Amino acid sequence: MLPSDQTVAAITPRDPAIVMRLARMGSFHQCRLSFMRVLLRRLESEHWAFDRPAFQTDARGVGHAVYRMTGPDRAYSLVAFAHDLPPDQRSDRVIATAWDATFTLFDGTPTDADIARLSQNVPKQEAGRVTATEITVSRANRSVRLFDHVIQCLSQGNQPDMTDVDAVGYLMRTTAVYGSGKLGAVDRESIAERPEFAAPFQAEMLTVFLIRAFVLDLVEHLAKASGGDRAVPLDPSLRRRFGIGNSTGLGMAPFLLNHPILLNNWIAAREEALARIRSLPAASEPEAAAFRKYLARAQLHVAGWHTDHPAQTAKLKALNTDLAKLTAHLAQANLTAQNPWNRLWFWAEQALSLEGQELLVSLLMEPYGPLVDGLSSCMSADEDRGFRIDGAMTAGSLRGLLRDIYGWALDIDWTSPDAQENVWYVSEEKLEPRLGKRQQEPVEAYEQPLCPGRDAARLFRDLAGEPDAAPIADFLLRHPQHRHIARRAQIAARYPYAEIRDNTIAADLLPIDLLRAKLSFFGACHFDPRSNRWVRINMFRNAPFPHEIGTRPVAGWTYPDLDGTTG
Amino acid sequence: MIWSLNEIEATCRKAARGAGFSWGLAEEAGKAARWLTEQGHPGANLIARLLIRHDGIAMSQLAPVRTEGVWAAPGGMLCPIIAGTALSDRAALVVNVGELTIGQIAVPLVLCYFARALLGPDIQSVNLSWDRAQATVTEIGLHVTGAPAAVHAESTQTVSIKANLAAFAMQIPPPSDRSVSAKTVVQLQAFAQRTYAPATDLSRSAGAGAGETDND
Repeated sequence: MLPSDQTVAAITPRDPAIVMRLARMGSFHQCRLSFMRVLLRRLESEHWAFDRPAFQTDARGVGHAVYRMTGPDRAYSLVAFAHDLPPDQRSDRVIATAWDATFTLFDGTPTDADIARLSQNVPKQEAGRVTATEITVSRANRSVRLFDHVIQCLSQGNQPDMTDVDAVGYLMRTTAVYGSGKLGAVDRESIAERPEFAAPFQAEMLTVFLIRAFVLDLVEHLAKASGGDRAVPLDPSLRRRFGIGNSTGLGMAPFLLNHPILLNNWIAAREEALARIRSLPAASEPEAAAFRKYLARAQLHVAGWHTDHPAQTAKLKALNTDLAKLTAHLAQANLTAQNPWNRLWFWAEQALSLEGQELLVSLLMEPYGPLVDGLSSCMSADEDRGFRIDGAMTAGSLRGLLRDIYGWALDIDWTSPDAQENVWYVSEEKLEPRLGKRQQEPVEAYEQPLCPGRDAARLFRDLAGEPDAAPIADFLLRHPQHRHIARRAQIAARYPYAEIRDNTIAADLLPIDLLRAKLSFFGACHFDPRSNRWVRINMFRNAPFPHEIGTRPVAGWTYPDLDGTTG
Repeated sequence: MIWSLNEIEATCRKAARGAGFSWGLAEEAGKAARWLTEQGHPGANLIARLLIRHDGIAMSQLAPVRTEGVWAAPGGMLCPIIAGTALSDRAALVVNVGELTIGQIAVPLVLCYFARALLGPDIQSVNLSWDRAQATVTEIGLHVTGAPAAVHAESTQTVSIKANLAAFAMQIPPPSDRSVSAKTVVQLQAFAQRTYAPATDLSRSAGAGAGETDND
């Protein structure tokens, strides 16, 4: 049967063997299910109110501020501390010790005593301690290229040039947003039952959303302090073109491997969304028109995406070609014919690069909010649900699982140096995950369990002598080194997208693929790898500000409007 | 120092790995510390004491082998993490028999975390008893009777485990204050330290952003 003749009753989600490859995951884009978009939809639909109980910074920008969002049941306050950091101390590395601004998201409204306590700890970041009334801890640095320039323009009564704004895209970059119990903050499990935290990373995204508002206020405040009556605020439309930058390196890379059920739930939600849309027997004229419009807006979005990284440059070039092909295809495609999206999908699988295919996944969701948005409530995870090993499983069954899930790894020659070139380890000096060379550095003894493929192959090898009917409990008692991967295999058997189907220690591993997959689910855009191990992104660019929630629609904010204004 | 549950779990996991446990077993140590803390016990302290006691002993000496129905370690003293995971992995078998005796074992309270695996549609509660301490595990949590010295004992000669069909009325334990003593912090961090690779010139130059200009 030709693909175009397929009926749509039973479009199933894509096979994990296709989706869970690093090259594809490294081509994911933000979508309706991304956590920033989930957050803004909630703030809008529940009429969250914004206010600014404190903004006490001097003419050098030193002081503190409180930015509060109040929802149906609770309020959350970003407590911001602004510093005057000498330029030589500014570093995007997670391991820095001083920052231009530091933040915490407070559960409720802080008292003066809370502010005093936080002022002694939050500016120190890792060297300080917070408590269970704090939800996140974060910090950010000014963009040297833009921060002072914008202040100077505004202080003289001028707007900064849009080209300069777009070339950077942010005034500050965060270098870490810690949550979930880090540095003494509240455990995620303690607040996970709150509806506003039902989707993942909502507190972290709210933190960044409020940081962005603070940073824009700060530059206007500094411009006013310097220019007095001559100073002007940013034009609102230009103002929205500023996001918050972020630099992310190897520290975040192991996250997806360390949270297999969470990873499954993210991917499963997105794949279910795609399957639902592909299963639609027809598209209405307004739905088809909306899709075409989002495609055009996505072209503007991609046009504003800059990078110097050779691999990403090539991918962007392919993506631009993909968008042109897609536009040309749509010029003659009938989107109101039967099974339009499934037909389009089959065409795309043949015609487009991975970047283009995965952008299409995002675009297909845009006209279908009611069909897909609810899936965001399935994206959190309780990793404990997969923790207990079923020791009664037989060796034969485990062998079967390993063949199914890790068949790709069983085919790899693990004695080849390239197959195991890298070692994930934590360095004593920085206490951060690092990637070392197995043959050249004395780090193998410190290897972290971040190579499931290799470990599954070792388990398979050692299982060889076990009778099919033997329960694995005895085997695991004799071979405790396999306990970690046996657990993963049992998790992946129940959660099909839990495991990445690629070699995470291979010589040709690109850690930025892991980073991009995660950051796309956050809702990040404009991925700009600075090396194979480190990526800069932009968050909330073109989004409304907290004070605009309720007056400016949030729908589709990630894509620039066709008239060139912000979404 | 007040630690979050995530910090307690992560630090105990790293410490157990540093003490020589496999990653899979170290994960269980972290979970045990976390759960015991949630049940109002000093989970991080108990794991620290356990790791100090086992330090330098081969894991095979701490693992159970069966002798006449009683679990015992070749080295004399069982580790409750290793014995506990073995218990958890054999939950169905133990439930069938209904009871189990475990021989000389360190920090017996840690076994309670793993005894939860015996709970199910039929088994409503599990009793563990040693010396002058009694512990009952249900889906709600852990209930203990006995003096703190007995409940948090460094070791005991025998632990009797019994799976019960009958329910056990239990109140939800009061939340722990999650305080971890400075001494425990130092002890756990010393073990965790062993999992960190000493920096080399090559590693310094191979960090994610090393050598890059990021100040723009």
